[in-house]
Amino acid sequence: MQSVGPGTLASERRWAVWPGRMSIRSRLRWAGFFFVLPALLHLLIFKFYPLLEAFRLSFYRYDLMSPPVFTGLANYQALWDNPLFHQSFWVSVKYMLGVSVPEWFLALGLALLLNRAMPGRSVIRLAYFFPIAMSQIVVAMVWKFMYHPHGLVNTLLEVFGVGRINWLSTEETALASLIAIGIWRGIPLFGVIYLAGLQSIPKDYYEAAMMDGAGPVRRFIHITIPLLLPTILFVMVISLLSAVKVFLNPLVMTGGGPNGTTKVLPYYIYQTGFAYFRMGEAAAASMVLFVLVFVLTLILLRLLRQGDVK
Amino acid sequence: MSKKQLIRWGGWSITLLTILGIGVTLLPYFWMVSSSLKTGQEVFELPIRWIPRDLQWVNFPAALSRGSFGIYFANSGIVSVLVTAANVLFCSLAGYGLAKFRFPLRDFCFRTILCTLMLPLEIVLVPTFLVVQQLGMVNSLTGIIVPLAVDAFGIFLMRQYIRDLPDSLIEAARLDGCSEFGIFWRIILPNCKPALGALALLSFRDSWDQFLWPFIIASNDALKTFPLGLAQMEGIDSTAYHEIMALAVIGMIPMAILFLFFQRAFVRGIALSGLKE
Repeated sequence: MQSVGPGTLASERRWAVWPGRMSIRSRLRWAGFFFVLPALLHLLIFKFYPLLEAFRLSFYRYDLMSPPVFTGLANYQALWDNPLFHQSFWVSVKYMLGVSVPEWFLALGLALLLNRAMPGRSVIRLAYFFPIAMSQIVVAMVWKFMYHPHGLVNTLLEVFGVGRINWLSTEETALASLIAIGIWRGIPLFGVIYLAGLQSIPKDYYEAAMMDGAGPVRRFIHITIPLLLPTILFVMVISLLSAVKVFLNPLVMTGGGPNGTTKVLPYYIYQTGFAYFRMGEAAAASMVLFVLVFVLTLILLRLLRQGDVK
Repeated sequence: MSKKQLIRWGGWSITLLTILGIGVTLLPYFWMVSSSLKTGQEVFELPIRWIPRDLQWVNFPAALSRGSFGIYFANSGIVSVLVTAANVLFCSLAGYGLAKFRFPLRDFCFRTILCTLMLPLEIVLVPTFLVVQQLGMVNSLTGIIVPLAVDAFGIFLMRQYIRDLPDSLIEAARLDGCSEFGIFWRIILPNCKPALGALALLSFRDSWDQFLWPFIIASNDALKTFPLGLAQMEGIDSTAYHEIMALAVIGMIPMAILFLFFQRAFVRGIALSGLKE
């Protein structure tokens, strides 16, 4: 109720000056603003202010105990000179692309499969969508167990004559193992989004194309892809943004190892800030991560806008 | 074989492929449940026994006694319920304001809100911690809850849904002398139950899932949430796979129940989020 109070007051004040319809219009204006205000304030305090603060802090040396000391670009210089940071950066890029690019295609494939008419479709969909509800920690625990040298992955691969591999503690396989989990977990989620996109395409288009003698491949290329384009780009943005956040899996499955091969940037930031208490350097690393996310999103959004024009 | 037959066989084999794919999707969970009911030795026994000889129900109480899991569970419940309630309230308020009103800078506000999707906690981790520290909320459940109370995604979802409600509903109520908040409370909210349900489910899932933030804020054992408790127990004894799996099963149960009861709302919520601007 409070949020409306000042709005109505303002409209009453206006009422005295502007008789007639103006009052309702200004009442609406204020009411709308006050509806948005609580959420907006929250995001300003917990998103935008921290972003500015991270930017400011990235020029300081700060360990939480003694007051921050301005050091200019020293933090960025330290990151630039630190091969471990370079490694983390590229691990993050590899993880992001390694997870999201296959997801774009596999999730679309799943959505196409589930969009077909087939017996028991709703049960099949239910089975595919069930993992969406699962917690990351459950997934992490199960997969750590799966990747155990005597776990299910090796047991199943043995059928094909593959020797036992210690997936999570071998440099060559650790990151790929985490990427596989990311893909496996993302497909159902993005499959749902694609499926909704597919269902929003009017059936008449397909019927008309079929009358003209277009086969399934041509129908897919000339109807499905163009009409699904906004959904495809949306999935691209969201999958990249969710892949860049990965933290729990490296933390509990590999501890960032072996030899830092799975130490993604969020892990690097956490470690620098909360294990070594180099808050300024962690903030500088955050800014690098932010720029990475920002640039990628901007590129995809530009594509999205072009897609809309078409 | 005629062309028609070929198409039918093709169709059946694709259906078969779809069903086999379920195996890949669900097998890990099945293995988890199966292992949670085995003894420590049986877990790695070959060939795999999918249904254990004697179901070891004792794993569950044994695993739970490895930490204050009652407290972790309660903390997770409190955090998830309050974060969900806050999101449902604030996101539907903001979604309504953005969908049905015209005010200066409205579109700018909306775009600003959407931009925060690019600022996950992982990026603003250090300064968010400092903000919470300044507010004196480090090492408290409040400190876990408050920064998670509004999510731009929820605002987007509610705005999309409310925008499609007819304006005539609102205008009729306004002519009847309903206050602006009254319109929101009595007209808008009851009319967007599907979206509210979807938002509540997604937000409950995300907060139940939340790891990094409680991990930073709660150093005190009495404030740990379930995911932290599970990770901690795994860190202490990573060889007790049967018990870890038992805890994972317990951690899965609340979400599994919610999903099975409300799967439509769940799927609709995710689908709604993907519908274009």
